[in-house]
Amino acid sequence: MNKPENRVDKIVSDLLRGRRLKLRGGDAEEKAAITAATRLIATRQGIQRMNPAFRKRLEQALESAPTEPWLTRRAALVAGFGLAAGAVTGGLLGRVMEPAAIAVRGSAGGGPINPIGGRWVDVAAMSDLVEGQGKRVTAGSVGAFLFRRGDTVTGVSSICSHLPCELWWNGGEALLDCPCHPVSFTPEGKSTSTQYPLPALNTVNVRVTPAGRVEVLGTD
Amino acid sequence: MSAGPPPGERQPAPDEGGDVLQLPMAPRSTDIALGELEIVYAFIYARVGNRADAEDLTQQVAMKAIPRLREGAPASAIRGYLFATARSVLGGFWSTRLGLSEAELHEDLALAVPPAPPSEERADTVQRILAELSDNYRRVLELRFLHGYSLKEVAAEMHSSVGAVKVMQLRALRAAAKVKME
Repeated sequence: MNKPENRVDKIVSDLLRGRRLKLRGGDAEEKAAITAATRLIATRQGIQRMNPAFRKRLEQALESAPTEPWLTRRAALVAGFGLAAGAVTGGLLGRVMEPAAIAVRGSAGGGPINPIGGRWVDVAAMSDLVEGQGKRVTAGSVGAFLFRRGDTVTGVSSICSHLPCELWWNGGEALLDCPCHPVSFTPEGKSTSTQYPLPALNTVNVRVTPAGRVEVLGTD
Repeated sequence: MSAGPPPGERQPAPDEGGDVLQLPMAPRSTDIALGELEIVYAFIYARVGNRADAEDLTQQVAMKAIPRLREGAPASAIRGYLFATARSVLGGFWSTRLGLSEAELHEDLALAVPPAPPSEERADTVQRILAELSDNYRRVLELRFLHGYSLKEVAAEMHSSVGAVKVMQLRALRAAAKVKME
């Protein structure tokens, strides 16, 4: 196994399976061959973009890093990824470009939508709803995202609780994202940001009929 | 809707209760940095060939770059600084993993700053490198890396043995590395 061709093939095989580079001191002799291999593999996989979950973690790390100028790797991990972000305030890169700021009120939000003269509107069949996936529906003038958990269905407004924009279902992260500014909400309607907590999304009244139809309290 | 006022409308009066929070509006400086870090990530990924290491190293670059970004550097200078940091971080990565000194890693530290996100140019470069190799070397690298064949499949395709293909793969990679450096 210590023959160079075996070592290099082990490294190549790991990379082809998407694993990390696991190198030893003795591999230095074959550094040129190993770096050639990493470049060929990267080429095969095409131009890589950050995984959305990693990008989000990086964003949180950037926004919540403490003010100490130089961080150890461990400190950076603790600061960015373990984070109690609520304790840190202010935009990290504020001096690069001063962000325009607006004020929002930190209220709990999340109350149910009860339209005056509302009526139950058939919006979907239970079989249309997939666990773990949000489904956009409209009940007259009420837009909502529905979520199924077993035999129960919950729903939240499809309008952001801050800017009046239509949310969209980000299936990769299982979040409702606002297209108008960088905020997200959980399927329960709670804001994911600890730094800029927004009011929760309004909930919608949902019921499931014995025939397996899903109805939302909406308008004509 | 229980939201606060949109931009341009009145602010809530202090006596209305509730906390007033500052919410940054796009384009945020963090978003600009993230856009640049996308390019850094692709740059690093192209050199380490796997996601986990690329994420770790990109994160290191981001964390190291924070103080400089805080100094108020113009956005145009961010990319240059991030890539200088990325080269340093990559140098440290190879140095630590292989037990080499920084001096032995001069080629990593001398990498040019890409002016824009990587494009098809990289694929062209690889094709040019492969074109410089002998038929057998080119074939083994194409099958193994570009088509993802196993050693066994490469051996069957090339009417050879697994052991011979392993040796050929190593020699082909060494040869490919030389083409790159010339």
